[in-house]
Amino acid sequence: MTLSEPVVYLSLLVFLPALAALVLALLPKVTDDALKLITLAVTIMVFLLSLGLMRQGVGIDFQAGVAEMQNAFSVDWIPSFGIQYFMAIDGISFPLVVLTAFLCVPAMAASWPINKHVKAYCILFLLLETGMLGVFLALDFFLFYVFWEVMLLPMYFLIGVWGGPRREYAAIKFFLYTLVGSVLMLIAILMLYFNSDLRALDNDQLVAAHVVESVEAARDWRSSVPDLSAEPDRMQNTFNILALQQMGQDPDLDLFDDEALFGKSIQWWAFLLLFVGFVIKVPSVPFHTWLPDAHVEAPTPISMILAGILLKMGGYGIIRICYPICPGAGYDLAYFVCFVGVSSMVYGAFAALAQKDFKRMVAYSSVSHMGYVVLGFGVWSAVAGTSYNADYWKMGANGAMFQMIAHGISSAGMFFMVGVIYDRVHHRDLDKFGGLFAKMPVYSGLAIGIFFAGLGLPGLCGFIGEVLVVLSVWKYSVVLAVISAAVVILTAGYILWTIQRVYLGAEYKGPHGDALTPISMRELAIAVPLLVLAVVFGVYPNCVLRYMQPSVDRQVEQLAELTPLFEQRESDANPLGDDEQMAAR
Amino acid sequence: MDPAHYLPLLLGAAWLVPLVSFVIIWVGYSLPQMAGKRASYRTSKLGAYVATGSIVLSVVLSFFAMFGVWLPSNPLVDATHHGEVLEEQHAEDGHAAAQASSPFKMVAAESESHAAGEHANNPPPKYYSGEWYNLCTFGKLKLSIGYYIDALTVGMFCMVSLIASCVHFYAMGYMHDELHDFTDPEVTLSNGEQLKRPGRYHRFFQYLSLFSFSMLGVVIAGNMAMVFVFWELVGICSYFLIGFYIERHSASTAANKAFIVNRVGDFGMLIGMMALWSSLGTFTFGDATDEHGNEVKGVFSQLRTEQNDYQLAPADSMVEEQTRIAPHSVGESASADGPAEYNTAGQWLLLIAGVGIFCGCVGKSAQFPLHVWLPDAMEGPTPVSALVHSATMVAAGVYLVGRFYPVFSPEVLLVIAYIGCITLFIAATIAITAVDIKRVLAYSTVSQLGYMMLALGLGGWVAGMFHLITHAFFKSLLFLCSGSVIHAVHSNDMTDMGGLRKKMPITAYTMLAGCLAIIGAGIPLSTIGFSGYYSKDAIIEQAFSFGSANPKHIILQWAPVVGAAITAFYMFRLWYMTFAGKPRDQHRYDHAHESPRVMTGPLVLLAVFAIGVGWTLPGTNLNVTNLLEQARPVGTLETTHGTLLPDLVVPNEHESHLDKFRVPAGIAAFGTAASGLLLATIIYLWNLLNPDELKQSFRPLHNWLWNKWWFDELYDYVFVKPTLVLSGWMAKCDLKFIDSILHGAAALCRGGSQVVDKLFDQTMVDGTVNTFARGTWDFGLWLRKIQTGRLRQYVLFIVVGTVLLFVAITFVQGYLTAS
Repeated sequence: MTLSEPVVYLSLLVFLPALAALVLALLPKVTDDALKLITLAVTIMVFLLSLGLMRQGVGIDFQAGVAEMQNAFSVDWIPSFGIQYFMAIDGISFPLVVLTAFLCVPAMAASWPINKHVKAYCILFLLLETGMLGVFLALDFFLFYVFWEVMLLPMYFLIGVWGGPRREYAAIKFFLYTLVGSVLMLIAILMLYFNSDLRALDNDQLVAAHVVESVEAARDWRSSVPDLSAEPDRMQNTFNILALQQMGQDPDLDLFDDEALFGKSIQWWAFLLLFVGFVIKVPSVPFHTWLPDAHVEAPTPISMILAGILLKMGGYGIIRICYPICPGAGYDLAYFVCFVGVSSMVYGAFAALAQKDFKRMVAYSSVSHMGYVVLGFGVWSAVAGTSYNADYWKMGANGAMFQMIAHGISSAGMFFMVGVIYDRVHHRDLDKFGGLFAKMPVYSGLAIGIFFAGLGLPGLCGFIGEVLVVLSVWKYSVVLAVISAAVVILTAGYILWTIQRVYLGAEYKGPHGDALTPISMRELAIAVPLLVLAVVFGVYPNCVLRYMQPSVDRQVEQLAELTPLFEQRESDANPLGDDEQMAAR
Repeated sequence: MDPAHYLPLLLGAAWLVPLVSFVIIWVGYSLPQMAGKRASYRTSKLGAYVATGSIVLSVVLSFFAMFGVWLPSNPLVDATHHGEVLEEQHAEDGHAAAQASSPFKMVAAESESHAAGEHANNPPPKYYSGEWYNLCTFGKLKLSIGYYIDALTVGMFCMVSLIASCVHFYAMGYMHDELHDFTDPEVTLSNGEQLKRPGRYHRFFQYLSLFSFSMLGVVIAGNMAMVFVFWELVGICSYFLIGFYIERHSASTAANKAFIVNRVGDFGMLIGMMALWSSLGTFTFGDATDEHGNEVKGVFSQLRTEQNDYQLAPADSMVEEQTRIAPHSVGESASADGPAEYNTAGQWLLLIAGVGIFCGCVGKSAQFPLHVWLPDAMEGPTPVSALVHSATMVAAGVYLVGRFYPVFSPEVLLVIAYIGCITLFIAATIAITAVDIKRVLAYSTVSQLGYMMLALGLGGWVAGMFHLITHAFFKSLLFLCSGSVIHAVHSNDMTDMGGLRKKMPITAYTMLAGCLAIIGAGIPLSTIGFSGYYSKDAIIEQAFSFGSANPKHIILQWAPVVGAAITAFYMFRLWYMTFAGKPRDQHRYDHAHESPRVMTGPLVLLAVFAIGVGWTLPGTNLNVTNLLEQARPVGTLETTHGTLLPDLVVPNEHESHLDKFRVPAGIAAFGTAASGLLLATIIYLWNLLNPDELKQSFRPLHNWLWNKWWFDELYDYVFVKPTLVLSGWMAKCDLKFIDSILHGAAALCRGGSQVVDKLFDQTMVDGTVNTFARGTWDFGLWLRKIQTGRLRQYVLFIVVGTVLLFVAITFVQGYLTAS
């Protein structure tokens, strides 16, 4: 039991906040400040643990430039259903884990103004962190689902108890919306589970999926279970996400290809259900209306977490689960996915332009920015017409991943910036601000910097993600490319207009003008790192890409290799030929 | 010195020095501010010295790159007598003369021996390109920060950094109000007082430094992605500079307008970039070798291959891409047997790419229909107008057209020419009625940028780029002079001025030099004149050449000529109204004074350049034209024909110097400019015609021009308002439609569950339970009746009970034994 074992290190990473929450719950009377300090210290420790992955020789290492899963471990949890406590990291989850661990620190630091039921708040906050980290690390579908739900409940209470005037409405809306997504996901999970069969995989695949340690172990395992050809009905179902990926991507297997409903296959339905479940979280139009309400009512730090991390779970689910497990359905539904992404980008930008409430405006900007993520994952441009050139899709998928990180930084920053003035003047009416630059110059400078990161200004993080996604779309669909490029105008419109109304101008037009004191050291310590990261990611995108790119590239390549098969299947199903489909596009 | 090594080093340093200055000022002023301290005004001044010092260092480095490295390794060849050369060439039908005209001709002539006597196109100019920093790589796709240095780059570096330093010096004087607590006369607070705020001297110089860095970044950029990055940065700097007086609502609105209108152009640019990126897979201009030693072709050499005699032809990948997107647009004749000139394969994509890139330039260079932001941008301090809105940022659009020239097909060039032509006319007419001295200059800038676009569109690459450089000098001079006047009279309005030349002679006469330069004053058909004379005549010559080849587009021939008359009129209207005649506002006149030396110095220096930048340095063949001729983009000298518009001809630029075009063009240019000047003199100097009466008699026309052709109102109604309405609808849709569905569903669920509750829970389940309970209760009540308290009755019950039990047990036992 040392830190150099993945099972110890990763479990500690995930469950340290939960343990701390338990300790806090048992602690006798402590002052509120001490509670907050302890929580902050825990989040910092978790962040250091996540950073330790990057550093050679401290505990376990995460190697940059490796595409495969690293530091995998699995322990039987509920063996009768094949459920395992199975975790690992790769380039897709690693940046999100670090982002989560990082953002919890400024979010906790931003929790200082909270004075109501501090102990409960800290406990829920820590439980939330465990849930989020667990979602990104879990590779067992059941475990993933458990973490997904674990994170839901603290969030519900954090909005519902510590929120604004309409907090109960917002909390219930958030909860029910997400629950619908979870239910859809659960249906899909069970569909996949009951159609999966580990025996169908060959020994190498079993090893690759970390079902067994080695090829020898795989042979032993095979002899211990009923033979596939003799007893095909005694399926060895699995929740192992990697094994499900292998089954979904093996061209010789058709486990998920049976017809389920309305002439569509199991994987088609599973993809759709999972996708809808995930885009509710992203959130994409038309499943986004919980977000503005949740943000407006949630306290500042919870808004930061919500926008910075929770939304990323949707994107993570799409790239980790939807596409690799159901690639054929992903191919069939690629246009649908892209369309959802583009409509969110446009719709969110338009809606942001119309908002009068500062926080609602930022919330809609999140809808718009997360649309890039969905779009970037969906641009399946490696088709026959492009000679199966996967480079543009790689660019889009990496851009989408980068956009998730960039948006995590910039949206958390934006919500914090709104929170800073809300704490002072207790209103968010965009028409009743103005002249903040004169009263709070440092704050205004930082805020404008963060907002420009959201605007996608070169040199700041938003630019890289957006430009990579937008440039990759043309190869997939010209129409969507043109629409997505047009969003840059709207984005500039709503961000600049907001800056003008809030920060520029001669004088402050709202109530409590005397309360506009300069930014405090605590607030500065939260805002500055966010802005610094926004600049670093914008100028040196490789610092993120070098970790994520190998994994994303590998996945895109694997899917691109399958494309001829899907095209073949499609033309078999549509004997009329390609012209019709081209016209449909 | 090895230019391949030193040029990137020198220009890279010249590019980065302003960034260093920006960072220094940021660290020096913003970091202490975070700690709650304010820098004193005395140290604020230090910031100005840092910024100015850095840009002066850039000038030194740029000029050293030009005169110490570029020119020694790439000696200029005289190209001023192309006309004669061409005539000789036609006479001799040989290539000997052409070889003398430019070094590239020589190379071309060599390769021509293979091409069996056909006219050879000019090969790529000498350039040095490379990569400094790799942003990201996806397979073969790569986004990087690199450089592309040719004569144009070096020349632009010298021009931009020189003008920027003049502006820096000038601003040290002009912005001195910011060196103490500043009372803004244009901002009245709600309590009726004027706004008082601390000065922001250093911040102004900080923005200037960042701007210089961004602008030089556009110039040195080695690929399209980098251009786009710095393009946006230039935009945001101009946003900061236009909105420098953040307290003024008009300033922040103008800044927003500038940025958003530019983004509209960038939208087109993104489309053009996507088209190129998806078809060619690269953004780099020049060729490079990758780490494996393979040659990676840049955009230019992919589209103009040596095998194809540097003619523009869509690369194979482009044809494939167009086939993929729109199979029918490639046409039947894409097959080999079709006639070549109707082969549209890849041409449409080339058109989209070209027009798309040009859209970005339309935004940045304030061309019609995106010209509306530039006049409003005059809300910024005057040095900003001089730097950003005359010499650098707006010139970036023209520069990019010049840089991207090899990619533009004749059809795209025609679009460029028409946009330029419309712009130059519209803006010139609006300038006639404007009375704000800076707005006149702003419209004049728009109009002159239209000239440049027109020239480039007509095939006059050298003419257009030459005008870019001459214009940068005289227009920044004019802006700085206007700033000097504004500084003196504290008003922008020319109706407040008059007779100022006695009070401020240096300003007046340097401005006169600028006016003469812009109208292209010179002795017709000679080589003596102000700088504008050379460049504008070159444009008009090219227009005549183009007009004779394309009678359909004759309007493009005459628009610049008419424009020249209007230019002369409004420029001298401006000069007379400001400096000549009697003072219109005696109070302002009395307080007027010549500006301090730190401001007049740059004026004099710029005036020297405005007069002489078109001249050849005596004793050498060093002049701007020869330098530009060295940078002539690959394959753009030869006369070319359109593909989608087969009868479109873009003539060889050197032909425009033939006497048959040069003489009429020179006379027309001189005649119209002189008549415009004369008209202005009649009205505003000799007062033979009363301007107010003219205004009355041309009331509708005056209104039309005074309201700037109603463009702002039109855009407001066509774009801004509908966008806001649409966004309102979308926001409402969320609340009313989507949320209504949700609430409806929720209500339905609640209702449904109430029904279930009523029917099932309350009636059936609860009903059963309650019935049972009631039964039990009633039974209990009934049982209570037995409990009478009478002993006899109890004994009876016991006896009867025992007997019954006995009977029952007996029966059960009998039954069990029986079975």
